[in-house]
Amino acid sequence: MRLSAAAAISHGRVYRRFGLGPRSRLDLLRNLVTALVRHERIEAPWARADEMRGYAERLIDYAKLGDTNERAMRMANFWLTEKDLIHKLFKVLAPRFQPHPGSYTRLLQIPNRDNIDRAKMAVIELKGNPFPPLIRPRRDTEKTLLNQLLKGYREDMQQSAAM
Amino acid sequence: MAVLVLLDSPLPRLCSLLQRYWGRLKCGLLPGFSGGPSPPWGPALAVQAPALLPQPGNYTSEDTEVPSLLDSILWMAAPKKRRTIEVNRCRRRNPNKLIKVKRNIDVCPECGNLKQKHVLCGYCYAKIKAEMQLIRKEIGKKEEGPFNAPTVETVVLYNGEKSTEKDEGKRIIERARKRPSWFVRN
Repeated sequence: MRLSAAAAISHGRVYRRFGLGPRSRLDLLRNLVTALVRHERIEAPWARADEMRGYAERLIDYAKLGDTNERAMRMANFWLTEKDLIHKLFKVLAPRFQPHPGSYTRLLQIPNRDNIDRAKMAVIELKGNPFPPLIRPRRDTEKTLLNQLLKGYREDMQQSAAM
Repeated sequence: MAVLVLLDSPLPRLCSLLQRYWGRLKCGLLPGFSGGPSPPWGPALAVQAPALLPQPGNYTSEDTEVPSLLDSILWMAAPKKRRTIEVNRCRRRNPNKLIKVKRNIDVCPECGNLKQKHVLCGYCYAKIKAEMQLIRKEIGKKEEGPFNAPTVETVVLYNGEKSTEKDEGKRIIERARKRPSWFVRN
């Protein structure tokens, strides 16, 4: 039984508060999810992008069940306010992410907004989008000291194995 | 009464003064004592004049004011002593008041600008954003109107590039420029 309902303590609360109330928060997140499905890469305040990420990934999980599924269709109907995106979700995104078990989005922080508020911004994108990549994975060149030593060791091993 | 006995003849003026003060004490008008409100008394005038002079009005307000000041709990806080410059320096230069030094600034390996370690490089991101805006303009031209999201994947091709077997069922977006080095085709 709950012994206390302290209103000013928020230990363990996982959902952030946005907008004017719970319904307004859902509307805000719904707009962001619709934008993400349409544009596949959007810029938003970090807190909103982080909150929206979970909802977007669950929506894709629902879409993977197939568009004949009644629950999946109702979810997509609620979460996507622009109805042509429902087709895109089931026909493009669901097959794209079929081999992936989870984590269909990437969230990266960008420099603070240029306004007077200097808000912490993030860019959230669906993986496999057609746009230029934001991070290029770098591999060390062969000329670094460690790589040269490893190369020498590998050659020594090969020579001793050959002999 | 004992006072009268002691000071008999030598100081008649002092005697009368003391008598008067004794009377005032009994009435409770002496400032040392916080007595109850007493009827205001002033000097008896030969001329017909109101017994209540303006002063008794002040007296009553002072009477009611003085006990409330002493009884009330609402004392305002005020500094007792001047803070010396040494104490002030200790407070102002305490490490928690100074601006923290950031040690998470690095150099972006692509463009050489400074960036924070956990944040994307501002210059590279602006570059990608500009290119994306042009791509989106081409997409807009192809879609011809709002709410026409395609049901196939999209591929961006630059000058002189042909679509391969991998890009078979996809919608092609043409960009009229050379492919930039940071946009690797995969």
